Amino acid sequence: MRDFIRNMEEKLDSMGAKLEKKEITIPTDLAAAAVFFVMGIVLLLLVPGQVTVGKDEVVSGAAFPTYLCYIMIGGSILVAVKDILKIARKEEVDTKTINTLVEVKALIIFGILVVFWLICRLTGLFVLGALFCAVSFLLFFRCKKKSYYMITITFAVGIWAAFRFILNVSF
Amino acid sequence: MLEYIGPALQQLFTFENFLWMNLGVFIGSIFAAIPGLSVILCIILFLPFTYKMTAIPGMMFLLGIYCAGGYGGSVSAILINTPGTPHAATTMLDGHPLSKKGRTKTALRIALYASTFGGIFSALSLLFLAPQVAKIAAQLGTAEYFLVCLFGLTIIAGISGKSLIKGIISAALGLLISCVGADPLTGYDRFTFGNARLYMGLDLAICLIGLFALVEILGKAEGKVGPLKLDTSKIKTEDKITKEEGKRMILPAVVSSIIGVIIGIIPGTGASMASWFSYDRAKAMSKHKEEFGHGSVEGIAAAEAANNAVTGATLIPLLTLGIPGDGCVAIMLSALMINGLNPGLSLFTTQGDIMYAIMIGLIFVNIFMFLQGRYLTDMFAKIVSVPQEILTPIIVMFCFAGAFSVNKSYFDVVVILVFAAIAWIMKKLDMPTVPILLGLVLGNMTETNFRRALLLTDGNFSIFVGSWYCIVFLVLIIAAISMIIVNKMKEAKKGVVK
Repeated sequence: MRDFIRNMEEKLDSMGAKLEKKEITIPTDLAAAAVFFVMGIVLLLLVPGQVTVGKDEVVSGAAFPTYLCYIMIGGSILVAVKDILKIARKEEVDTKTINTLVEVKALIIFGILVVFWLICRLTGLFVLGALFCAVSFLLFFRCKKKSYYMITITFAVGIWAAFRFILNVSF
Repeated sequence: MLEYIGPALQQLFTFENFLWMNLGVFIGSIFAAIPGLSVILCIILFLPFTYKMTAIPGMMFLLGIYCAGGYGGSVSAILINTPGTPHAATTMLDGHPLSKKGRTKTALRIALYASTFGGIFSALSLLFLAPQVAKIAAQLGTAEYFLVCLFGLTIIAGISGKSLIKGIISAALGLLISCVGADPLTGYDRFTFGNARLYMGLDLAICLIGLFALVEILGKAEGKVGPLKLDTSKIKTEDKITKEEGKRMILPAVVSSIIGVIIGIIPGTGASMASWFSYDRAKAMSKHKEEFGHGSVEGIAAAEAANNAVTGATLIPLLTLGIPGDGCVAIMLSALMINGLNPGLSLFTTQGDIMYAIMIGLIFVNIFMFLQGRYLTDMFAKIVSVPQEILTPIIVMFCFAGAFSVNKSYFDVVVILVFAAIAWIMKKLDMPTVPILLGLVLGNMTETNFRRALLLTDGNFSIFVGSWYCIVFLVLIIAAISMIIVNKMKEAKKGVVK
């Protein structure tokens, strides 16, 4: 068993080392402008279908979200123009380095959260999901201390009990 | 005012209220002391517990967390040179150097005394100023209210990130999210995509769990946090604050408390701004400028008094106008509203006994913060070294249980996952998430007042310059935007020089 764990860890380490080297640098302002410009356009297109408007309304329920979409689109254009001008003048733009290993790890954490939700949703037993959460996070951190497992499992049951019996939340 | 004090004291002095106050202070101190956890996260996680409580114990619990957060952050700042909360970074400048000189206990005591002084000063300011501001607020119409909301949103958009425009885009996103559900004026559904669960809109607490709590968990992917090595024996050394040091603390504590209250009243500012500004002032006023950065007593006192003086002041715009002074009190608004307490003058008249009980309670919260700080600091310090491996799954469990308990629905758990993903992407794009919070809180109020104002004038925008109050608020908005732009330009220039 110990050999199996050691082999697994070695494999994971070598995978991690490879992923850590893969990095992408993105101009944050330009990327943010693109994302929010598209989001603004999509939301603007959604407004007529998603907002019911009554007859003869001076200011309908669509007005406020429409203005907000315009602000979002206008703001995105301003941010993009500012960054494009900086690039044209060969000035330094704000960038962020996205590390593949970090993103993969974040995806694994997100996966743990989704499975936690699925267990609760399918079984209706929060405590089961909480136990999974406790163990999977400790495995994620490669924790080998038995006491940590005991503590988190106790907390999993304790949190369930607090919500179940003190707050009367049945799950 | 006096007629409410008697009934208020009667409502306040119960075992239940004092128990929740102390529990809040205890939990808040722990969360603030642990680097990586925050007061806002603590309030979000424990908000569902208050849904079952009445207004006074619920608010006492949340205020206990909030106030203790002001002091708790300084524990790790002084002991391990890592601020537990962002505003404790200022305390760290002098707190840790003083601790390195072997005067850890003195540094912690100065922080505690200054925090308590700032907190009580702020609570008294709240008690006397809030009813007066509420009277002015009662004279405001829909157009003025819309402009007040706009003012709050502008400031928070401007100061919570590198770029004002990106802050405005974030605030717009928050306001758009608040549009999900029934139209506040007509009741027609909006952005529900045929899902009946969305008709009531998205619950603030649920959105915040995703935006601020779960995203911290995703952040664990960014690096392994090693255990914090802490020698708590340092605290036990029997050094005391000398008489001379005590005297030197008074002026910076008083001035910083006044600064903290003024900054706290301005919506969207918060404790960090107050502590940096006060620290700067204290340094300018001090006769011992050379000590700053090397363990100055005045430096610690100024920073701590200011960040706790914000706590009561942020409640002034919240209770009178419904505009939260910072992110933490924005969350408290939902705890108030769930008990039928709507901000405004009526809160101080029809529900005056409850309101005054809460305001007086804030003074007691600070007293308990002092007592717990005095006798339990050793324990708070030990908790700083709780491993992240244990904390992370516990926070996740609290997030899920909290989200589910609001509406007893696993749909809300999906919502927190979606918001966590949004917050993660925004983090990667350097987009601030705090303006989303204010957008969510002020969304309904902003839209309702905007549309009502236009309805009154058949869609004529001249109503927004139609009164002196409107003009004052417009001038304030323009001044705020100008100041933010000038500051950003200065910061950019400094960056280029560096």
